[in-house]
Amino acid sequence: MAVMRMGYMHVRVTDLAEAKEHYANTVGLYQTLEQDGRVYYKGWDEWDHHSIVIEEGGVGYVKCGFKCERPEDIADIEAKATVYGYPVERMVAGENPEVGDGIRVTLASGHQVEFYSHMTSYGLEVGTHNPDAFPRHMVGIGAPRLDHALLWVNDVAGIERFFMDCVGMYPTERVVTSLDDDAKTLATWLTLGESNHDIALLEAPENKIHHFAFEMRSWDDILKAADIFAMDDVPIDIGPTRHGITRGTTIYFFDPSGNRNETFAGGYRCFRDRPMVTWTADQLGKAIFYHSRELNERFLTVAT
Amino acid sequence: MPRLTVASDGVVVELREDETILEGLHRHGYAYRTGCRRGGCAICKVDVVSGEVRYTRPVADTVLSDAERQSGVCLSCRAVPVSDTTISLREETLRCVNPLLALYATSH
Repeated sequence: MAVMRMGYMHVRVTDLAEAKEHYANTVGLYQTLEQDGRVYYKGWDEWDHHSIVIEEGGVGYVKCGFKCERPEDIADIEAKATVYGYPVERMVAGENPEVGDGIRVTLASGHQVEFYSHMTSYGLEVGTHNPDAFPRHMVGIGAPRLDHALLWVNDVAGIERFFMDCVGMYPTERVVTSLDDDAKTLATWLTLGESNHDIALLEAPENKIHHFAFEMRSWDDILKAADIFAMDDVPIDIGPTRHGITRGTTIYFFDPSGNRNETFAGGYRCFRDRPMVTWTADQLGKAIFYHSRELNERFLTVAT
Repeated sequence: MPRLTVASDGVVVELREDETILEGLHRHGYAYRTGCRRGGCAICKVDVVSGEVRYTRPVADTVLSDAERQSGVCLSCRAVPVSDTTISLREETLRCVNPLLALYATSH
């Protein structure tokens, strides 16, 4: 089974014009389509048609999609998810512009997650023949690609099990109530392969999205991103700093509708035989914000 | 210009035209618990005791329901007082994080 990556994140925004300014000119994504009140974007190092979809009206999560390597992978997940007991429906090519046939699974939290194996290739500005290292005229922070998302869910253990058993992920790190055998998992970081995490889940009273993250390539890029956010009056939640979990460097910030975004750089490579890291809840401050070692007043209380 | 009173803390500030409650209090050196500051997370809700506010940007129904609006709840990062307004914070107190501004801020 081969699910390759989180391919797209689709969120609502209260004001499309302000959101377009943010995602195009601050985050520096390429707009590839605007249709039916939705705008589609890709990062400069993404070749598929889109990785971010914004839709006017409201705020928060609509759905996300994971790209599979082959159609057979979708059928495999469909069979396993059905046995697991999560509602599965088929989606046909074109339901999402430029996306092929697939399935839509509704998690116990109500979050809809789609699986597909085809999206129209848009290509890279640098091309694939003797390419330059990056586009010459990048805009804003020039985010290369969508990296991962963190969802607030009401059943971390059950949904983690779905992503492990039906999607083929494995956890790289967990936050647990204690080191006792009967400890409860409060949060988990799950990966499909060698990236540090493709999706993370946090136990919460509401089913929402905490953030979605753009991959940056270095701490220097993170620092420059913070400079751009200052210039563009982007509200920063926290950072630049480092996470204890994943060791990644980060800024959390908000889009003009209040959806939390992240720039994420670094984090170690993972393999399926890597020992899982466990954090106890009493060390959550250090786990999330490694330098300050305490949570700010927003991390566990604000989501859309 | 509207005058904003925080009844729970006895603080009174003069607002500028089209200034939100949050902007006005920040400009006078005061802070309280806020989240996204862009109308999405609902954590900065306060109760309007008297006066009237309006919204210059759309606010999602899932963030602030009609019932809440009618019962005097407002989203302080987006709500712009249109007349002298008195609010009350919920389960917290205003923190003066910039005493210089608290002393010297002006509305013009």
